[in-house]
Amino acid sequence: MKTFFKSLVAACLLAMPLAAQAGTLTVKGSDTMVILVQRWAEDYMKKTPATKVQVTGGGSGTGLAALQNGTTDIAMSSREMKDAESEKLRTRYNTSGVEIAVAKDGVTFYVNEGNPVNALTMEQLKGIYLGDITNWKEVGGPDAPIVVYSRENSSGTYVFVKDNVLGGEDYTSSAQTLPGTAAVVNAVAKEKNGIGYGGAAYAKGIKELKIKTSGGEVAPTAENIKAGKYPLSRDLFFYLRNKPSGEVKAFIDFALSAEGQAIVTKVGYFPVK
Amino acid sequence: MRTHLVAVFTLTSSMALAQAAEPQQPGSSDTTTPTAESTATPAEPTADERLTNAEGKIASLEEQNVETKNDLSALKKLKISGYVQGRYQYQEPLDDTGTGGFSKFTVRRGRLKTTYTTDWAQLMLQIDAASESGVTLRDAEATLFFPGTHQLMGLTVGQMKWPFGYEGPQSSSDREMPERSRVIRAFLPDERDRGAKLFGKFLKNKINIGVGVFDGNGIFNQNSVGLDNDKEKDVIGRAGFDLKWLSGGVSGWYGHSLGRKATDTYRVAYDRNRIGLDAQLYLDVLPFGATAIKGEYINGTTYSKSAGQQKVEQLGVPASGWYGLVVQNLGLKDAVAVRYDYFDPESGRENLATPEGKPGPNNSIGTLDVALLHYFSENLKATLSYELPMTAAPGTAEDPHDNLLTFQLQARY
Repeated sequence: MKTFFKSLVAACLLAMPLAAQAGTLTVKGSDTMVILVQRWAEDYMKKTPATKVQVTGGGSGTGLAALQNGTTDIAMSSREMKDAESEKLRTRYNTSGVEIAVAKDGVTFYVNEGNPVNALTMEQLKGIYLGDITNWKEVGGPDAPIVVYSRENSSGTYVFVKDNVLGGEDYTSSAQTLPGTAAVVNAVAKEKNGIGYGGAAYAKGIKELKIKTSGGEVAPTAENIKAGKYPLSRDLFFYLRNKPSGEVKAFIDFALSAEGQAIVTKVGYFPVK
Repeated sequence: MRTHLVAVFTLTSSMALAQAAEPQQPGSSDTTTPTAESTATPAEPTADERLTNAEGKIASLEEQNVETKNDLSALKKLKISGYVQGRYQYQEPLDDTGTGGFSKFTVRRGRLKTTYTTDWAQLMLQIDAASESGVTLRDAEATLFFPGTHQLMGLTVGQMKWPFGYEGPQSSSDREMPERSRVIRAFLPDERDRGAKLFGKFLKNKINIGVGVFDGNGIFNQNSVGLDNDKEKDVIGRAGFDLKWLSGGVSGWYGHSLGRKATDTYRVAYDRNRIGLDAQLYLDVLPFGATAIKGEYINGTTYSKSAGQQKVEQLGVPASGWYGLVVQNLGLKDAVAVRYDYFDPESGRENLATPEGKPGPNNSIGTLDVALLHYFSENLKATLSYELPMTAAPGTAEDPHDNLLTFQLQARY
């Protein structure tokens, strides 16, 4: 009997950290979305102090992997879930997941402010990032080697550019990978021959490239992105294992509310509602 | 011995060196007056020199980074995975005399799989180190992805799973039940064969098609292990759809098997045909977890019966069967699964009783299987399953006591 009580006490002690976790909501994934979701989390926790929202980056792939292995409640992703990821979720949890678009974004290519190049075609961008075009003079710029900056392969933005600009082909091996869009922006701002890409929200103090299309040059402006005119606009997603309920639902409802969508605009993205 | 001496010498010499390098204690008798030469500080490098050095270091790091990325890119194409299923099984004695039944530990599967994928090609090799007949080859696939299709279409040649149905091609590491249902084991023995298969996914992966030509005998056919028993090939394929919440498909198999039954004077090419339907429904309606409902039906001629590791074809015998499976997730780590499968080993023939009061060898069998699953992590899964086979027993015949308890621990990476 004494042994039983000892076991019971031990079990209660073991359960204590779990009990402490009650009311904690975890959100993992896209680095592009970290700042936006952190802002949502801050405002949401002010409204509901009983709930703690933990937001961590690491890339869309990392977030979706965490969703598959049960270590996050919400995965934030700047790309659509791949079929293989959806299949893993279905095999393990018998659900192919729930996709919720929470904001819009335009993937922007940046060059240094001193670079005379203002617009490139999708083909030229593809050439630069595949390593076929290596000098700015080939695209109307100065006679200088192009310094290519990219994101890490766990990033949703990396995958988005690979799928939508490079046609699924591999990036040039000379591309320098940097952790996070802010690092890419920083590098391009310092390197006069640099080119990088990322979310419009981070594009401060450097020159955003327009995309040359058959209809003319299209800038990554709010109007063009909302209207779908800008060829590299995309949705930013929350992914869940099951239909949201309880605290998860309350947080998502807040993100999609007028107040939450106002934060989207403040951070530099575009509302979905 | 030499190694020990080297080790001792290294230790003693390094201790001596360490002592020699110890700083002088202030006030010790050994302190010497520093000379002018030793106090002279080296000239500070200029800003230009420092910048040149830093640029050199950065250039060197960039070169190393490109090299590392190239190495890593090659390594990322290689994926090694595998799983082990350790089991305890208990089956009660088959009748009142106490014969049959067992209580045993087994390693059901010990798989090691290597996949190397490039933009255009894929190699896949899988072995089973826990097979009764030693290490056996399970899969050996060479795949060409058609250029421009983003690996959605291609050709596979080698030894692979038949593109037929759902439970056959499904990995045993993903299945809820310890074994495939009886109808699948009869019509798709060992699930694999040698052949060539074309595959493709269309309409944003909503439609998937796999069709190929195969020897048709599988990999453990008693009369033709490792070779075809006729010059004809079997054509096997499946056309499926996948809407995420609902998936399914229609499968077909057309071929022949050359063999001689006791009543045949010469070898006869018997029909080896099947048609199959499968569907999987995924529901997210209950608050504690999602629900999956799956089913499959197969009707055909010429199937296999197990004889130990080998399979014996029942030439020209028509048979049919189906299964229904419900899986309910309970939170993130637990699930319960219930499957009923039915197999009629000789369609159109009445169930019989033998003079000894036992069911006939070709009587139909219904099997109820209930399993509890617990996922310790994404790498470790425990399954406790209880299987109740119900053999049709007309008249005075008795259904054998062949209920089976299985506990399985599966580790994968």
